[in-house]
Amino acid sequence: MSLVSKMESKSSATSPSERRLHKELLALIKEPPPGVKVDVDSVGKNLQEWKINIDGVEGTLYEGEHFQLLFKFNNKYPFDSPEVTFIGSNIPVHPHVYSNGHICLSILTDDWSPALSVQSVCLSISSMLSSCREKKRPPDNTLYVKTCNKNPKKTKWWYHDDTV
Amino acid sequence: MGNCLKRSAADDISLLRGGNEPTRESSADPLGPPLYSEIIQPVFYPSPSVSRPASHLTEEEQVKIAKRIGLIQHLPIGSYDGCSKKSRECVICMVEFSVEEAVRYLPCMHIYHVSCIDDWLMRSLTCPSCMEPVDAALLTTYETT
Repeated sequence: MSLVSKMESKSSATSPSERRLHKELLALIKEPPPGVKVDVDSVGKNLQEWKINIDGVEGTLYEGEHFQLLFKFNNKYPFDSPEVTFIGSNIPVHPHVYSNGHICLSILTDDWSPALSVQSVCLSISSMLSSCREKKRPPDNTLYVKTCNKNPKKTKWWYHDDTV
Repeated sequence: MGNCLKRSAADDISLLRGGNEPTRESSADPLGPPLYSEIIQPVFYPSPSVSRPASHLTEEEQVKIAKRIGLIQHLPIGSYDGCSKKSRECVICMVEFSVEEAVRYLPCMHIYHVSCIDDWLMRSLTCPSCMEPVDAALLTTYETT
């Protein structure tokens, strides 16, 4: 039995949060947006932690690069935003991405809405990368990485720059 | 404080901006005034990322939440009529509406399952789809009608 059919058959008798995650996962497997691919094996073990591979978009500074995002959901999703970080050996060098994988993006905290989804978050991150004009780390990278909480949602982000 | 929880009666229909869709009957809350046992839930969310049990709320947060509860009750409820112009699924739970199902209308005319949107509005008074502040829009509606 494939994972998809297994999920389709067990999508009853779960919490609203799990039901929504099931729906999103099926949609992402069946019709993934270009350059976004969910790691089905990782989700098969635990519905509350997804690994998602995203490709640098052609014609941008990240063309040819591959990145991995980790999404962590709690049982209040979609009322609570997911915790989203870059993981793995290739963390994109970008003014809003810290070298520990934390991302400074307002929709992940203050501007979260339950109408957003894993797919829309992936597309926002991808477009954040695509609009970058110079690959560099945030100016406070060294201090932040040394002192921050492991959970980026515990950081009081100061969103001051919408240009990239 | 008592006023915050008072339900409006005759002017509910004015919120529907022309009232062309749901009728007077469907905009009335079928459940009537809420029981206090329904209002006093164990945990409240003064803002989306802050959760506190009722007994740990500051006075300011209690006022904020009481106002919020009062305001949510002014938002009309209608039954889904399957009209093709409206969204077909509730973007919060991602489940399609079924005909006759109770939906809540926000001032921007976006619709959601009552329990889905009320859960969100208790955290943030904004429309999940267009981010319009619900309280400001509701006051504008009062002023223009």
